[in-house]
Amino acid sequence: MNNSNRRRHRMLWLFAATGVIFAACSSGKSALDTGSEESSAPTQPADSVIGTDATDTEDDSADSTAPASTAGPTTTVTPLADLPACPTDALAAADAAVDITFWHGMSSDNETALIAATDAYNAQQDQVRVNLQNQTSYGSAIDKYINASSSSRPALIQLPDFALQEFADSGTIVPSSACIESSGFDMSPFLPRALGAYTLEGVLWGVPFNISNPVLYFNRQMFEDAGLDPDDPPVTLDELRSVSQQLVDSGAAGTGIVLDSGPDSGGGWFLEQWFGRAGELYADNGNGRLARATQVLYDNELGVELLTFMQDMIDDGLAVSVGDNASGQDSFLKMVDPASPGAMTIGTSAALATVIQALGGGIAPGLTADDFGVGPMPGPGDTPAVQVGGGSLWIVDDKSDEEIAAAWDFITYLTEAQTQSTWAASTGYVPVRNDATEIDPLASTYASDPRFRVAYDQVLSGSDDITANAPALGPLRAVRAVTASAVAAIFAGSDVQTSLTEAAAASDDLIISYNTRN
Amino acid sequence: MATEVATEVASLDTSEKTQVVDLGGRAKRAKPFDSPRGVRRVGRYVLLAVISFVVLFPIYTTLIASLKPGDKVLENPLIPDAFTLDVLASAWTEGRLGRYLFNSLVVAIVITVFQLATSVLAAYAFAFLEFPGKNLLFLAFVATLLVPLEATLVVNFDTVDSLGWVNSYAGLAVPFLATAFGTFLLRQVFLSLPQDLRDAAAIDGVGHLGFLRFVALPLVRPTLGALALFGFLASWNQYLWPNLVINEADMNTVQSGLRLLSKSNLSEPNLVMAGTVIAAVPVAVVLLVFQRQLVRGLTAGAVKG
Repeated sequence: MNNSNRRRHRMLWLFAATGVIFAACSSGKSALDTGSEESSAPTQPADSVIGTDATDTEDDSADSTAPASTAGPTTTVTPLADLPACPTDALAAADAAVDITFWHGMSSDNETALIAATDAYNAQQDQVRVNLQNQTSYGSAIDKYINASSSSRPALIQLPDFALQEFADSGTIVPSSACIESSGFDMSPFLPRALGAYTLEGVLWGVPFNISNPVLYFNRQMFEDAGLDPDDPPVTLDELRSVSQQLVDSGAAGTGIVLDSGPDSGGGWFLEQWFGRAGELYADNGNGRLARATQVLYDNELGVELLTFMQDMIDDGLAVSVGDNASGQDSFLKMVDPASPGAMTIGTSAALATVIQALGGGIAPGLTADDFGVGPMPGPGDTPAVQVGGGSLWIVDDKSDEEIAAAWDFITYLTEAQTQSTWAASTGYVPVRNDATEIDPLASTYASDPRFRVAYDQVLSGSDDITANAPALGPLRAVRAVTASAVAAIFAGSDVQTSLTEAAAASDDLIISYNTRN
Repeated sequence: MATEVATEVASLDTSEKTQVVDLGGRAKRAKPFDSPRGVRRVGRYVLLAVISFVVLFPIYTTLIASLKPGDKVLENPLIPDAFTLDVLASAWTEGRLGRYLFNSLVVAIVITVFQLATSVLAAYAFAFLEFPGKNLLFLAFVATLLVPLEATLVVNFDTVDSLGWVNSYAGLAVPFLATAFGTFLLRQVFLSLPQDLRDAAAIDGVGHLGFLRFVALPLVRPTLGALALFGFLASWNQYLWPNLVINEADMNTVQSGLRLLSKSNLSEPNLVMAGTVIAAVPVAVVLLVFQRQLVRGLTAGAVKG
């Protein structure tokens, strides 16, 4: 008895001891950190730290710090010589077929189309063998890429518009500009907007491959039932409201428009798009395109007006939110909800083929693939306009010359006019080059099914000022998560101005923290 | 020491017995609504019914959705008017679930076998051997129970990555071959074995491995079964880790394969439901067959701390 009691005591003591050890470990680290900060702060002013590396060339260090203090609205141009090179001629010198891995984030019919394109490429030549690896989404591709060592990274990765700044800063990418320069590739047929979207400080980082933008999907039957013209969908916000009112009042639809608060749709991406359409900046320094952005601007009058509009629509029973809308299905499913279907929703044009496929497969009895229409995304102002979204192809540095050259060869195949024509016709993406629209199958698809053309026309319309490019923010993914939860709160009834101000403050913190780290 | 254990075991037995008798008596006496106790019992059943409804409802809708033909998915959500097995069949072929189930099975079996082996040996050492720093070491073992998988995820991935085990069975299985939980559980059960057994075995000239093999293991068989089941289920249900270390489609386990299936067929929600049902069947069968053993095994060591 006594013995076991003593043992129990000892156990307790040991538990306590390990607890102390664990606590000591965690606090020890921070104690070290604070210690070093304290010791370095008084002896060396923060400014002079930069100069310590090159104490004997004081002039140089003074020069390098000068632009930072005078960071005005001028585009800095990064010289290509400072970035990884792209030895595009290494492929011709390769003895055997070069195997490369390509990480993509395509799903459903888009994945099928990508597999078809890759199979065709692998079959038509014997220098390069491309191994497709589906990472199921851009987000997980990015996360895995960041975690992986350079050896388990792919040679080629498909990245979305919102990863631009983050990956350009990562130091692990061969800029496409370098490949274009070394191979003399002709970029003139490419849409300037598409190239502009992936260009930062004069460097094209990834070659645009699958351009998408938000469009309005609507139920033509319901429009007709409500006495509306299905060939004239709403373009302005006022029209959106009156059309929704008529749809609901006539009993043609349970709700006018289906909204969502997902980060890569209604909670973030669409917001950026609406700012671009209104010709307003979403972040300072030209949406981060002229120089690093230091703060977001979306909590201004326009942001409040837009979200108040959406909130009122929901309050008045003209709109309904499906929340996070993960994988983009929920907003479409709400349109065919037997209990209270929605007549419209805003979604990426990349979903077009999948929607046609789903309706063709009979998921919604009584509704065929021809019963839904596509129109430009409604928004502020009278003229439809969008920023280029979607994905681009990035070559990973730290691979052999042969692999880099092989990846570039595959890029040139995926972006040639014929591939782009087939790709756009079978997915709903916008082709990255003009000449793809002139050849079949895309030419005949555009002629026979104008729904496919809406996203393309949207990319071409609108002004070409700085707001035509999506914001380039290092922490854009995190910023979108912040705006998404703000939008969700607003949809649920929170005060618009307060929610946006808080979200903007949180976004600014993210940007400041990113800028100090990178 | 030995008598102490014996009396404790005895008292345990009697307490169990009296409980059983008491239960029996209660069952005979109880008539619903007769007494406050009866009312309480009805209330308890109502509560349990509500809870099981909440738990079972998503499973029911999944099952129903997997049996509906494609054009009925959004109709009559709760009581379908048409059934088909086509969806299950096409989920099996399109989702390549055979391949993924095989991968899951390989990984789960390897993990289970190794977890049993490492736990038995480690627990034996902690229970029967005397060596310096034993308690501290055991505490370190137990302390790792407090560290969630997510905390070690990045470090584990770095290790697996640097060993070149990405996209391999090794990458899926090796980080989980030893388990602090199993060691802890078995140690407790070993400690509850009477010291007399060890002494008797020693007199008969049986060494450590002999004692373990012929005396200890047969006695703790229920716990071993529970531990095996637990390890199997835990590895079968892993999602985050396989998603991280597997890029090659052929190497997916069934859980990460389901993600691919759902992403490749956004337009066919019932296909994904069917895939989920197929993935759940093996686990459900294993659980139904062994559930008694699982519960008995997990509580076996708990009484004697």
